[in-house]
Amino acid sequence: MSRVTIRGLLSRKLRLALTALAIVLGVTFITGTLVLGDTLDRTFNNLVGTAYQHVSFVVRGRAELSGTSAAETSDRRPVPASLAAAIRRVPGVAYVYGAVGGYAQFMDRDGNAIGSGGTSTLGFSFDSNTQLSPYRLVQGRAPTGPDQVVMDKATATKHHFAVGDRVLINLPGGARYFRISGIVKYGSSDSLAGLTLAGFDLRTAQALFDLRGRYDSIDVLAAPSANTVRLQSAIARTLPSGVQVVSGQTAAGQLSTEVDNELSFISTALLIFGAVALFVGAFTIVNTFSITVEQRTRELALLRLVGASRGQVFRSVLSEAALTGVAASLIGLGLGVLAALGLKALLKAFGIALPSAPLVFEARTPIVAIAVGVGVTMLSALIPAQRAVRIAPVAALSSRGEHHAATVRRRRLIAGVALAALAVLGLAFGVSEPSAGLAGLGAFVALLATITLVPAIAGPLAGGLGRPAARVLGAPGRLGRENASRNPGRTAQTSAALMIGIALVSTIAVIGASLSTSTKDQIDSAVTADYLVTGNGGFSTSVVPAVSHLPGVTTATTVYQGQFEFRGSLFTLVAATPTRLGQTVQLQIEKGSGAAAMAAGDLLVDSMTAQTDNLHVGSLVPVKFARTGSTTMRIGGIYATNPLLGSYLTGASYFLAHFENPLPIGVLLRTAPGTPDLNPALNNRILVPYANVSSKTRAQFEHDQLDSINTLLNLIYVLLALAVLVALIGIVNTLMLSVFERTREIGLLRAVGMRRRQVRAMIRSESVIIALLGAVVGIVIGTGAGVALASSLRNSGITAISVPLPRLIAFLIVSAVLGLSAAAWPARRAANLDVLSAIAAE
Amino acid sequence: MYGTGDAAVRAVNGVSVEFKRGRFTAVMGPSGSGKSTLMHCMAGLDTPSSGRVFVGDSELGRLDDAALTQLRRDRIGFVFQSFNLVPTLTAAENITLGLDLAGGEVDRVWFDQLVGQLRIADRLSHRPSELSGGQQQRIACARALIGRPELIFADEPTGNLDSNASAEVMEFLRRAVREHDQSIVMVTHDPRAAAYADRVVFLADGRLVAELQAPTADAVFEQMKLLDG
Repeated sequence: MSRVTIRGLLSRKLRLALTALAIVLGVTFITGTLVLGDTLDRTFNNLVGTAYQHVSFVVRGRAELSGTSAAETSDRRPVPASLAAAIRRVPGVAYVYGAVGGYAQFMDRDGNAIGSGGTSTLGFSFDSNTQLSPYRLVQGRAPTGPDQVVMDKATATKHHFAVGDRVLINLPGGARYFRISGIVKYGSSDSLAGLTLAGFDLRTAQALFDLRGRYDSIDVLAAPSANTVRLQSAIARTLPSGVQVVSGQTAAGQLSTEVDNELSFISTALLIFGAVALFVGAFTIVNTFSITVEQRTRELALLRLVGASRGQVFRSVLSEAALTGVAASLIGLGLGVLAALGLKALLKAFGIALPSAPLVFEARTPIVAIAVGVGVTMLSALIPAQRAVRIAPVAALSSRGEHHAATVRRRRLIAGVALAALAVLGLAFGVSEPSAGLAGLGAFVALLATITLVPAIAGPLAGGLGRPAARVLGAPGRLGRENASRNPGRTAQTSAALMIGIALVSTIAVIGASLSTSTKDQIDSAVTADYLVTGNGGFSTSVVPAVSHLPGVTTATTVYQGQFEFRGSLFTLVAATPTRLGQTVQLQIEKGSGAAAMAAGDLLVDSMTAQTDNLHVGSLVPVKFARTGSTTMRIGGIYATNPLLGSYLTGASYFLAHFENPLPIGVLLRTAPGTPDLNPALNNRILVPYANVSSKTRAQFEHDQLDSINTLLNLIYVLLALAVLVALIGIVNTLMLSVFERTREIGLLRAVGMRRRQVRAMIRSESVIIALLGAVVGIVIGTGAGVALASSLRNSGITAISVPLPRLIAFLIVSAVLGLSAAAWPARRAANLDVLSAIAAE
Repeated sequence: MYGTGDAAVRAVNGVSVEFKRGRFTAVMGPSGSGKSTLMHCMAGLDTPSSGRVFVGDSELGRLDDAALTQLRRDRIGFVFQSFNLVPTLTAAENITLGLDLAGGEVDRVWFDQLVGQLRIADRLSHRPSELSGGQQQRIACARALIGRPELIFADEPTGNLDSNASAEVMEFLRRAVREHDQSIVMVTHDPRAAAYADRVVFLADGRLVAELQAPTADAVFEQMKLLDG
């Protein structure tokens, strides 16, 4: 029997190769994602390891707020510098170093900021003692005095800086020139995972980052002979309350965990797209094996006739799938390494920069890749194998195989209707609750219901969609249309793959458009300022006076943002200067007061929070700040929900009193009527020293926000394109099999005068009809799911529903074009069939 | 009226054979005698390795694939042994398939006349799978005739039919020759079918070995026995 299987495989090389391609793509993507994830993991863990390699203990401020991530220094209070001397005197301590860090961004020789700002730049105090420091001087000497800096080797090489050069550095207090005293490496690598490094001497760093007399943390090196347990408690005894000592390993572990969590988000997201591609691929496999079994009915029946058992036939089909799956998975595994590089380049193109490092190939990667590839292939082949088992031996003698279509169709209908009912229920609850999880589940079940029901409507639908083809192309178009609807099960199955892809793309399009519209609405209803000065994260406080004293500016509102604990959970608190607030920010106050309450240091909450937490004007609520600890705040007002403003608002002076050196995140400017455009003065003169800070008009700001939404959408489209590609392979595969199956029919058509061009037109119209069927159903389902999901997200920022018709129509057109291109090969093959042998073909 | 001169074929083995316009010729011979090859060459489905094939004035060897397709579509009709119809099209659509492919107009009078003679008027909206073998073959005959081709090739048209259905098809083909001056070349194994022809040519080992004018089934049968022996 196994010889029959292998002979069969060899005789069907072509269609198996096409089937395998669908699996290859899915496995490639999954392998790529795993390799990329492992590589990033290893890279960051190595970096963390390097940082804490020699550190015995870390003395740092206690994390005051529950839920604060362990490593974020910004959420910990700095420790007094005097502690370092006290710790140094503890017996068993060999060396201590108090470190500070903060925002420091290099500018290249053309005055452009290097790196994307925010977390991609690191300023730090450089410790020339290598006992603790992970930094190694490779050229020049350590920085001394207020004008010297060391730069990482990667940045120096890339931007052609050398020891002795002057370099402009953007700092929290504004930009300044420094002289490069040396070039450093991080451990043995030229940079820290792609971050730019600017090292200053300790006193300079403390001044630059506004930490005079304080450290972010103190690293401690224990003497080789010291008992670490006893030493840790000895150090702990010297510490005031609010300061803790942890082992270097603990600190490193916390940092690793946090980094891993963030990285696993990227990996998980990518794996989802891989899973979608494999899901779509499964349809291609089911379809190919179904058609193959159908075409081999007589052969399989003959095997039964000469004595093969049901089990043998079943195993024969399944082992064919297994062999295909193994081959495809192995190829996918090999290509996956390339895919890892491709994915990285893709993420980089969409603004997600990842460090460069040699690829890591964990043992788990091939195991998962092969298990998934073979598993999906074999699971998909189960249904066709079952069908093969049902072939009666007598079918070898009759000209046509028996079909159980009627009963299958009825069972299918019942299952489909049940699924559809479940889907409607899920969507309805998802929307009314509102719960995005339920709505998502409902959308998924709706997709399953559609897949189940489409065979029932595929015939008439394909006929309807093919009408234009029949009209325009005449006889070949009509034949293509008939071919598309002659086997509704097959057409439905083939188009289902594309349907899933298009449905997902449409869902994303609807959610994206709704998000864009909502964002625009929110900006329009919340912002009345003419200009918004924003940076990448916080920026220097000196920006505020510089921009607010421009002639024509009537009101300048400074905005801050920080984390606080509200009723025991961590939330973001936004603060603004309340003076003439109405000129720049439109707070739609529903109860209490706005600017006045903010000026009084009251807390304002949005109506949604007020409702869920049952808060009223005058309520007293417990809050906690990292710097000042627990206190209570009075609710001074309730405003209409607007995700742009956040849910918690207070006045700037209250905020400044409770946060450690907060940096403004925005300045909103209102100008007197008739004031000329301020942007040239702001962006070309006043804001030039502040590299990442720029001024935008409200329209520009809006445009930028929508742009970033679109960038994300485009990334998702590109990733979903994989699933669409797999679906296309499915169409090619089905068409090839159909052409093979209809060899005699095509021969007959050629004999009675069909031109080659007309044969191609016939196959192409069939392909386009299949593609359009998938696209139309996919767009309908996807739009429905998108609307439901978007409205279930109404508490998370999507306040308006928008269906992007032009984009959906574009999907339809693209699908038709894809269908046309999928037909290219099968159409050529059909047109080039030798008429005589086609007629003679059995 | 359609085409001038005679339809002529030079067979691969150097023997020249000629099929006259308005005549019904049967080609017979044992399996492997070359009768199918001969017909395929004449119909422009196959190309002879040497020698020339003429349909009217056209030399088929000089025509490219597009021209051959056009020739088949406009000047030749086909009736095969089986699988004569496109399963997705109705009977009516199958009949007019060639004209539809050419984008030509259907002569409704001619169509109705054919359908009437073949007694398939009530079957026109059916798909081939809903028709009997005889009905399918009659529809194939209508398709072959609808474009008024210069020549019809019939390859074992009765091979899959019972005797009643065979007689009906053959009767119709003879009538087409008598009443409409249609030229038909038919390859067959069946002496009774061959008896409907005006002339029977016998092939053996690729050579023209015998010929009968106005044959009877018995005469054909005798001749076949001779060849087989």
